[in-house]
Amino acid sequence: MTTPTRTLIDDLLAEQQQLTAVERFSSRHENSELPAQARYYRDLIPLDKPRPGEQYAFAVDLDACTGCKACVSACHALNGLDEDETWRNVGLLNGGTEAEPYQQIVTTACHHCVDPACLNGCPVLAYEKDADTGIVRHLDDQCIGCQYCVLKCPYDVPKYSARRGIVRKCDMCHGRLAAGEAPACVQACPNGAISIRVVAKADIERISSAPGEQMVPGAFESSYTKPATAYTSRRPIPANARGSDSDAARPEPAHWPLVWMLVLTQAAAGLFLSNWLAAIFKPQISLAAGVLLTTTGFGFLLTGLAASILHLGRPLGAWRSFLGFRRSWMSREIVAFGLLALTAGASIPFRSVALNGATALLGFLSVFCSAMIYIDTRRTSWTASLTFPKFFGSTLLLGSAAAACILSILGRAEETNSVAHAAALSAAAIRTILFLWETRNRFRSPLQVNRFSELNLFNSFNPFNLFNLLFAVSTITGFLAIFSSGPIASSLAFLSFVSTFISQIIERYLFFTTSTAPRMPGAVAQ
Amino acid sequence: MSGIPDRVGRASSPVRVAPRAIPENRTNSRRDKYPALRQFAGPLTEDLVLHPGSFGLGKVPARLKPDATTTLVCGFCSTGCGLNAHLRNAEAINLTPTTDYPVNLGMACPKGWEALTPLKSPDRAIAPLVRSQRGAKLEPCDWERALVLFCERFKEIQRKHGPASVAWIGTGQIVNEELAFLGALGKFGMGLIHGDGNTRQCMATAVTAYKESFGFDAPPYTYADFEESDVIVLVGSNLCIAHPIMWQRIMRNRHNPEIIVIDPRKTETAMAATQHYALRPKSDLVLLYGIANILISEGWLANDYIASNTREFDAFAEFTNQFKPDYVSAATGLSVADLRKFAETIYHGRRVSFWWTMGVNQGHEATRTAQAIINLALMTGNIGRPGTGPNSITGQCNAMGSRLFSNTTNLLGGHDFLNPAHRKKIANTLCFPESSFPAQDSWAYDQIIEGIDSGKIKGLWIIATNTSHSWIHQNRFNQLADKLEFLVVQDMYHTTETAQRADLVLPAAGWGEKEGTFINSERRFGLVKKVARAPGQALSDFNIFRLIAQYWGCGEMFARWTSPEEVFRILKECSRGQPCDITGIRDYHMIDECGGIQWPWTSENSSPATERRLFEDSKFFHADGKARFIFEQPREMPEPPDSDFPFLLLTGRGSSAQWHTQTRTAKSDVLRKLYPKDPYVEINERDALRLGIKSGETVAVSSRRGRLEARAFVTLTVQPGQVFVPMHFAAANQLTFPAVDPYSRQPAYKACAIRFEKI
Repeated sequence: MTTPTRTLIDDLLAEQQQLTAVERFSSRHENSELPAQARYYRDLIPLDKPRPGEQYAFAVDLDACTGCKACVSACHALNGLDEDETWRNVGLLNGGTEAEPYQQIVTTACHHCVDPACLNGCPVLAYEKDADTGIVRHLDDQCIGCQYCVLKCPYDVPKYSARRGIVRKCDMCHGRLAAGEAPACVQACPNGAISIRVVAKADIERISSAPGEQMVPGAFESSYTKPATAYTSRRPIPANARGSDSDAARPEPAHWPLVWMLVLTQAAAGLFLSNWLAAIFKPQISLAAGVLLTTTGFGFLLTGLAASILHLGRPLGAWRSFLGFRRSWMSREIVAFGLLALTAGASIPFRSVALNGATALLGFLSVFCSAMIYIDTRRTSWTASLTFPKFFGSTLLLGSAAAACILSILGRAEETNSVAHAAALSAAAIRTILFLWETRNRFRSPLQVNRFSELNLFNSFNPFNLFNLLFAVSTITGFLAIFSSGPIASSLAFLSFVSTFISQIIERYLFFTTSTAPRMPGAVAQ
Repeated sequence: MSGIPDRVGRASSPVRVAPRAIPENRTNSRRDKYPALRQFAGPLTEDLVLHPGSFGLGKVPARLKPDATTTLVCGFCSTGCGLNAHLRNAEAINLTPTTDYPVNLGMACPKGWEALTPLKSPDRAIAPLVRSQRGAKLEPCDWERALVLFCERFKEIQRKHGPASVAWIGTGQIVNEELAFLGALGKFGMGLIHGDGNTRQCMATAVTAYKESFGFDAPPYTYADFEESDVIVLVGSNLCIAHPIMWQRIMRNRHNPEIIVIDPRKTETAMAATQHYALRPKSDLVLLYGIANILISEGWLANDYIASNTREFDAFAEFTNQFKPDYVSAATGLSVADLRKFAETIYHGRRVSFWWTMGVNQGHEATRTAQAIINLALMTGNIGRPGTGPNSITGQCNAMGSRLFSNTTNLLGGHDFLNPAHRKKIANTLCFPESSFPAQDSWAYDQIIEGIDSGKIKGLWIIATNTSHSWIHQNRFNQLADKLEFLVVQDMYHTTETAQRADLVLPAAGWGEKEGTFINSERRFGLVKKVARAPGQALSDFNIFRLIAQYWGCGEMFARWTSPEEVFRILKECSRGQPCDITGIRDYHMIDECGGIQWPWTSENSSPATERRLFEDSKFFHADGKARFIFEQPREMPEPPDSDFPFLLLTGRGSSAQWHTQTRTAKSDVLRKLYPKDPYVEINERDALRLGIKSGETVAVSSRRGRLEARAFVTLTVQPGQVFVPMHFAAANQLTFPAVDPYSRQPAYKACAIRFEKI
């Protein structure tokens, strides 16, 4: 009997797994609580804490920043962020003249604004502007993952983690500052380009409020959030300097749950309006018609609200959404939809014109709040003049198309049919106006949509072609439904409604994906 | 107001808005207002709370609190930064730059910060992989089978085609002890003649230039020279992103230095310079001779130094007569006034240092260009004093080690294979039979590859490099690779472009998973320690070489070569009496305690000064102790633009977050965020306008050898008629023109003719 002998392979494989650094080299580093790096960053952080009316702010010396990007990875490593998570970012300004070309790296993190858009938009008060330091902190356990702050911040600071279901962001290493240590990025810059300063909030307000003031070219106008970061340079930045990504068109997230939520709730609001109008102008319309209109609207509403829950990273905390009512349009929208659901539900059994009216008005109010959520982000593609017509247009269009469809299915009685025809005709009119308006916008305005087409980002699938096709189908079937009767008419009306509905889904998809999200100047082709 | 930085933007607008009071409720804590409704604490919050990390680290997340720390040098570039591994149960869980390491003084570039991440990549090679036949898939096998196959196939090829028909291509990425083992095993154990390293692609020029000028490959400087100069001349070096930690040393310079950058592009470094000379590509040799001519005609020379310590100056002075300012101005595109300003700045500098890197080394007349820089330093006496020197900045973490210990171009310890006395000395030191020492030089990288075509090389062993990506005429190598009878790739990853072509892949442990020493750019030995477990059956290159020695049948010969530190002792002996003598370095502990030790060091009983430079005694390594002025007539670039290919392609580093062929840096999510995902090409605004190209559009860039598709980036930082593509994108080297410098045989990556098409 032989025992298997250990081969050199076995020995070396075993040896490879032995970690020897500790036993072979006793640690040269004292087990000291005092941070050794302090010798380099001592001058880069303030000696004193901010006094009332003051706050901490990042200061970036552009002349010292030469593009090593260590700040990004140091922030990642020293804060133990997730594998793909970074709180700091770098972009590249490019411009100048042929004789004097210009490029400059711009490092950027949270600007700890005096009037933070993220904080103002948060429906659950998950942001806190620290009273002592002015640091804008995110309360991770309070966050419900609605990501509205991501849309609100014009500097692309809050980052959503799908894995955690919450947003996280730079907190200026407040724990380090409190202990007299420098934030990770400050510690890590080989050239000392990033420092922390104490600044008077009134000064930030004053500087930020100057018309056209930006921290650096390409950054969002400072008057919106009053960012505290100061970028300084002895070298004038040429007027033509732009972020290296300024020509890039990048698709923004589609937010599918929100796409469905918007279209469904707007269809619901439209139906409530149709029902109310029918009740006012054709009081003799059958009871069944009213109930069916309201019930369908109610169904749309609940489905839409359910879809919106899917958007949340941590839906269990959603009950807190009323907390931000005083400043957040998202809170207001959620409250409005809650009230709408109650009145709409109540209006089904009680056939009351007053209740129908209240439901219709609340529906409009809710759609108004929905629109304000986006208008309040100040994105150029989400201005009031673009968003209100879209959202109210959808409301009227879907409300009338859905009513036409429902009533033509019910439609035996003369009154019902006439209302159905009236609804179908209004749908056709609204549809045409909306279509022409959208098409004009696409060809006229400098929206990102155009860059998408130019750069072939849609590849084989161009949603505009589908949008045009659906317009044609819904218009033709809508008219044919008016001129036919019986099951054919109701089938055509149904087809017209469904194609209208899908066209609005596509429209909302484009609303999100082609929106122009403001950011700090970015890097090449990213 | 001058001197006070201005806030950027339009702050200077005359409109002043009265400060507006901030509403109380916007700033005050609402902590007390909704006590039950807001969660200030909880598991998600706790995840980011920082706790004292001890070991002088300051605060760290609780999850990442170490129980010990140790310093090791970084494994990317030649700067050689010290990194603190934060250990828990002896395994590294995080890294920070070492505060008191004399190289980096507490700082690191993004690659250093992220150095642990690539080790955990899922595409690590975790077992030997073998291909049953060409075209078949790589299948895992055990080490026994892999080693038997390795020896059988290579021995069979050697039997059929002679011992020299098997060759290796090594690297500057593994430790000295491994390089020496590879070189000794290859040449003395396996009887191979030809072996070279990827250092041929980055450093060969500096080696040849120093050897010819000084008598030994001896970069004379120490990093403190960056801080001591009053004039810093950077030639073909984008230091800010290629060696950001060296740039940090320039930022620490308290002498308000003039910083002169010679580069066709307005790079990050050119932006930060006080004088940027955007010369025509490949006119650097003419420029440097022109500057020499001005210095000579003005008499701005260190005549005493020239007379006592150099040779051939008079011939050089006469030679430079033809490089009159008007001629040089026409050739370089720089004005005569600029040339004079450049020369005057050197003249007025009391401590002028000249630094060069790939822009010089990777040229068709690279050796002479490097020597033209050396000539400027010699004639102005800017050498051997603080803040001076003609200084080559190296590329890879152990390129300098490869120069001394890879046993390829040089015999171990910077010796000469052609010198019988050297062969005898090293044979005795190693206790190897002198008969096993080839009395001929190895072929260079390009010659080995051409050898495949001519049928002289039939078996190739590639260690820790990615030829299929990095070779200058990539497509040609990839075609030739199929002519090999057996290709072995030894690497951390089975996914490199080269490993994908291999018949046998040997899984290697990486940096941080093994021990050994690197030598950085300033000749400093630094220690690599074992702070991470290699995945699966991956073995350190050292252990792989041990196994190959045993299976080849020369295990006895290498009986002493049992651990990296044992081999380090052998290497010390090899260096005895050489300019790179390190017999004074006791052991690894001494390197660890001193924060690295620069060569030479011969006195075991004292501690070396932290920063030491060469030639303070003005004694060079030629037999007569004098440095040489070496010069030659400049030549046209090999493939200038013409009517078919009207643009000139420049290649170079893309960002500080990228390393060479990206086999490691592409494995980190953080690093990937720091460079463009898709290949891009920088094109001048005027050319873009003419061709109707806008930023972001896809264009095809083609040369006579290949084609790549990339996003255009319109900029003024490249000159009209020139374009720039970062070398990290695999397709870049399908375009490059395969010229080599005749003396160093280093490929000239930096210039070839291309054309554009809009897609």
